[in-house]
Amino acid sequence: METHCLKRPTRRQFLSSVAFTILAGSAAPVMARSISGSLPWEARSADPPVQVKPGGWLFFTPEEAQTMEAVADRLVPADELSLGGKDAGCVLYLDRQLVGSYGTSSRLYTKGPFMPGLATQGYQAPDTPAQRYRSGIAALNAFTRETKGGKRFAELAPADQDAVLTDLEAGKITLPNKVDAKSFFNLMLANVMEGFFADPIYGGNKDMASWKMLGFPGARYDYRDHVSKHNQPYPLPPVSIAGSMEWMTR
Amino acid sequence: MSKILFSLTLAATTFSAGLALAQAPDQADEIIRGRYQAILGDCAACHTAPGAKPLSGGLPLETPFGQIIPPNITPDKASGIGNWTEADFRSALKTGIGHDGKRLYPAMPYPAYTRMTDRDIGNLWSYLRTVDPVFNPVESNQLPFPFNIRLSMMGWNMLNFAPGEFRPDPSKSAEWNRGAYIVQGPGHCGTCHSPKTVLGADETSEALQGGSLQGWYAPNITGNSYIGIGSWSEDEIVQYLKTGTNGHTIASGPMAEAIQASTSLMADEDVKAIATYLKSTEGGPAQKPQPIPASDARMKVGAAIYHDTCSACHGGDGKGASQLFPALAGSSIVQQPSSETLTRLVLQGSQAVHTPQAKTTPSMPSLGWKLSDEQVAAVLTYVRNSWGNAAPSVGASDIGAQR
Repeated sequence: METHCLKRPTRRQFLSSVAFTILAGSAAPVMARSISGSLPWEARSADPPVQVKPGGWLFFTPEEAQTMEAVADRLVPADELSLGGKDAGCVLYLDRQLVGSYGTSSRLYTKGPFMPGLATQGYQAPDTPAQRYRSGIAALNAFTRETKGGKRFAELAPADQDAVLTDLEAGKITLPNKVDAKSFFNLMLANVMEGFFADPIYGGNKDMASWKMLGFPGARYDYRDHVSKHNQPYPLPPVSIAGSMEWMTR
Repeated sequence: MSKILFSLTLAATTFSAGLALAQAPDQADEIIRGRYQAILGDCAACHTAPGAKPLSGGLPLETPFGQIIPPNITPDKASGIGNWTEADFRSALKTGIGHDGKRLYPAMPYPAYTRMTDRDIGNLWSYLRTVDPVFNPVESNQLPFPFNIRLSMMGWNMLNFAPGEFRPDPSKSAEWNRGAYIVQGPGHCGTCHSPKTVLGADETSEALQGGSLQGWYAPNITGNSYIGIGSWSEDEIVQYLKTGTNGHTIASGPMAEAIQASTSLMADEDVKAIATYLKSTEGGPAQKPQPIPASDARMKVGAAIYHDTCSACHGGDGKGASQLFPALAGSSIVQQPSSETLTRLVLQGSQAVHTPQAKTTPSMPSLGWKLSDEQVAAVLTYVRNSWGNAAPSVGASDIGAQR
């Protein structure tokens, strides 16, 4: 043990460490770019989001899509304030997210160790959102088939669907294949809300329905003309990243 | 031994360099004055490609007749103008005929440089001899038949070219005459800012009234207060040429390059003289036309797009923000007969010029991905006819051509 600690570096180790230091030192200026004068700029540069267009499912099977549409319509029911989650395109939004970087967690650190974390630490398990929806929807339908007379979730009456969702949220239901009911419910709730409130360019929030409901002005970023107009409603309609009906030339 | 040899060589070099300087004290002044002529003439704008050695040849110029590549004008004997004599150079600038009788194309603005004084040309030549020679062969003539026949420029010159030095107007001030000399001669402002005839010559009867080139519209820069620079004070013109920005607008595109490499480096009194002269020139419509009414369908769509997309920077009232966002209300570039520059700015975006006095370089994002041809046309029609502006509407077909 002691000999280990006192071991002096050999000549070879010393020389190679010096060589490494020199290499690392000389590589650094090459990697850093110094900018003087005007900032870098390119004509026509843009990184716009791609407009999601309806038509076919890219992630969900028809049965999964039907289940999710039923869920979306219970989480955001159609009423006098707005249309429902299904018609607002929440499932279309979700479908396109699940085939993208969100579905595969490709922008997250997803290697172990996997340990139960605190609630404030967010999701800690290895499954990606795509995997969680695949197993979660299957588990949900298996549960209703078993307990609700062989019916899939989408085939239940709205009141029964509400009861199932309420129990999921409360963690009163044990789903098969070790799917965590509460965690899956929270995932669906978060994603349906995203679809309902996000910019329509991503497939949900059809015709800016949720923004009209709230009076949210949308993708605007300057209100100087209106700051001093106290107690007056903001006059302009909401606008999406992709524009609005007012932009239509014909 | 090698050390001694090295010191000897060093001493010898130092000595001979000192001798060269001692022999030509007058030439140093000439060279310095010549370097200033190169700034006035903005030789680098065409003859230096971005990132390349000075004056070693430029980027292709797109002309209505085809492509011309500005040649290497360093003193390299094989690929530059190292074999030229001063007489060759003088002839090229005064008559458009270079070394060996080779006829230049008027993309080289000899119709303007012909106005330069012999002294200024001589100084410029002295300076060009001192530039680092660079071996870079350039074939300037990329024109298609029949324009590639250089002799055809003989006929062109007969029709379009009036050689001769600038003649001062004795009834005007020395400052005015200095400004006229720079604008018409070395500064060759009309090369971009004068409309062109079908033969590509400056339309001299409409000098400085605006012209289209290389996908930009160089605006009217006469003293016209509707469409020229008449609404700017002399100080504002000076500020624009020295820094690229004044309270009203910010330079971009080819003018940004001209400001960076030329006008911002000019002597203050020369820029002042240019302003004095330009303010005195006349040209363009005296009366503003009637604006397109706000009730017009295109104006309504344009207003919606403007307030959703543009107003955050340019303001709901089109007044912009001084030094940061150009004002659109009352802007002359906005109201030019051609909307070419505006279309380009909307489709491609733009970055403000960088000068020592204006370092922020705010930029406009490209909106080409977001707006259709019809939408760009509508918003430009709105901008050109709001807040007191008035100009012809813009059609969707004008936009598609610039995508």
